[in-house]
Amino acid sequence: MERSKIFIELTELFIDNLDEEGLVLKDTTTAMEIDGWDSLTHIILVVAIEKHFKIRFTSREIHSWKNVGEMINSIEKKVE
Amino acid sequence: MIFNSVSFAGFFLVVFFLYYSPLKGNTKAQNWLLLLSSYFFYGFADWKMVPLLLVATTIIYFLGKALSKSNSDKNSSILTYLGVLTGVGLLVYFKYFNFFIDSFSSLFNAIGLHSNIGSFNIIMPLGISFFTFKLISYVVEIHRGKIEYCKDFVSFSTYIAFFPTILSGPIDKPNTFIPQLQQRRTFDFALAVDGCKQILWGLFQKVVIADNLAAVINDVWGDLPGQSSSTLFLTAILFSIQLYTDFSGYSHMAIGVGKILGIQITKNFNYPFFSRSIDEFWRNWHISLTSWLTEYIFMPLNIKFRNLGKLGIILAIIANMVVVGVWHGPNWTFALFGLYNGLLFIPLIISDSFFEKKKLKPNKYGLPTLKDLSKMIGTFLLITLGLILFRADDIGQAMGYISDIFSNSLFTIPEFEEKFKAVRTVVFIVFFFAIEWKGRLGIYAIDEIVKKWNNPIRWSFYSLLILAIGMFMASDESPFIYFQF
Repeated sequence: MERSKIFIELTELFIDNLDEEGLVLKDTTTAMEIDGWDSLTHIILVVAIEKHFKIRFTSREIHSWKNVGEMINSIEKKVE
Repeated sequence: MIFNSVSFAGFFLVVFFLYYSPLKGNTKAQNWLLLLSSYFFYGFADWKMVPLLLVATTIIYFLGKALSKSNSDKNSSILTYLGVLTGVGLLVYFKYFNFFIDSFSSLFNAIGLHSNIGSFNIIMPLGISFFTFKLISYVVEIHRGKIEYCKDFVSFSTYIAFFPTILSGPIDKPNTFIPQLQQRRTFDFALAVDGCKQILWGLFQKVVIADNLAAVINDVWGDLPGQSSSTLFLTAILFSIQLYTDFSGYSHMAIGVGKILGIQITKNFNYPFFSRSIDEFWRNWHISLTSWLTEYIFMPLNIKFRNLGKLGIILAIIANMVVVGVWHGPNWTFALFGLYNGLLFIPLIISDSFFEKKKLKPNKYGLPTLKDLSKMIGTFLLITLGLILFRADDIGQAMGYISDIFSNSLFTIPEFEEKFKAVRTVVFIVFFFAIEWKGRLGIYAIDEIVKKWNNPIRWSFYSLLILAIGMFMASDESPFIYFQF
């Protein structure tokens, strides 16, 4: 799957799960920059991403993400 | 040597002078000074434990180095487990070993097996619950790829032993602390003034409120039989305030001292008694501990249980809160305190209110709305109930205390041995919470308030605080509650 397509689908998942209409994601976006993105909603997001893309992350992968770009890298590797 | 003592003032003046005068601009030398003064400070409290601190620091330093060079996931995981085991092992041995032996002995005796295992003479090193958490956090963060290993042993050791925080936190993460030690630090007048203001506010909380409350509360707890329900009820409320002002006061002083040295220490409290629910309270209380546990206990468990939905969150929260409780000490009262708080989350998770974070909006008079106020009072009372367990010597005493609150004498006037002291302290508490409410948007309350005042009013206010502190400053040192943890 193309990175740009993952980006669009991921943005929709963020909007649905964080209830943040009009949210614009960038590769460099971090949890600090989005109000509702905390440790709890992060896991809700992970579950939604796994369901949507039919993939499974390891705990280490989930802990290692520093921003949206790194999240997308992990998704990209798994949906290839 | 505690912050509110003459010996600390003398020690800090010497460090301050050397730090900004002969060593000014020399980052390496300043770090050496911070390290040596931190070890001196720690040794002053308990010199026998200095080798332990040094050895633990050295082991984790080399583990971190090995971790950064490990070329496989498996090796990295093994080294991380070793690091975590070192930290947890130290904590378990020094803090909980005798507790386990006593508990097993009691269990064996209860089922009719005679046990003659005695307790060991283990002295708990001061601050062990705080510095072991820093050691663990360092290896885990390297393993997760969040930080590089710290090449400079002096910086790393300073991070672990930094004197303002070694005895009672806040528990800084290496990610934010170590980079500060590698930056050039010259005297920043505005930051130092900010630090002094924060120390002043911390001192006020500790000396004027917490210490005065301690005297009133200890009288009641020292003679529980015969106390009226209303006295017990009010004492429980006062203890919540004592614990908060004692620990928050300490944290403000530690952060203030850090600021004077040009180092930002993580925030520990965010006006927890204005919280409208248990989850909000725990996001605002002892923040450096709760965020540490969220990161290393709650999150991994929540990730593991992520397909169980709300049940997974409930299990992760309860495990996390039991650890919060047990972290405070080897006593079943703390375990039950944690479990009780964990259980309080269940209705919030089931009803989804756990996931909502509504901002506090005051009414047109700048006060909380009646709805918010009732939620704040409800949350405060639930926390206060739990803190009876926290204060009691054992579960039996706590249960007796709680059941004694509910009797006809709940509607009588509370009786205290030192009536004048109790009433005077209540007046200070009202003043304190008024300031906290008004300044709740600031990092610390008086910072936000004084910004709006002109110089004469601001200085009159500072003088008032200093006068109150001077009036109550005890000639002997009164230690902080959290030193025992």
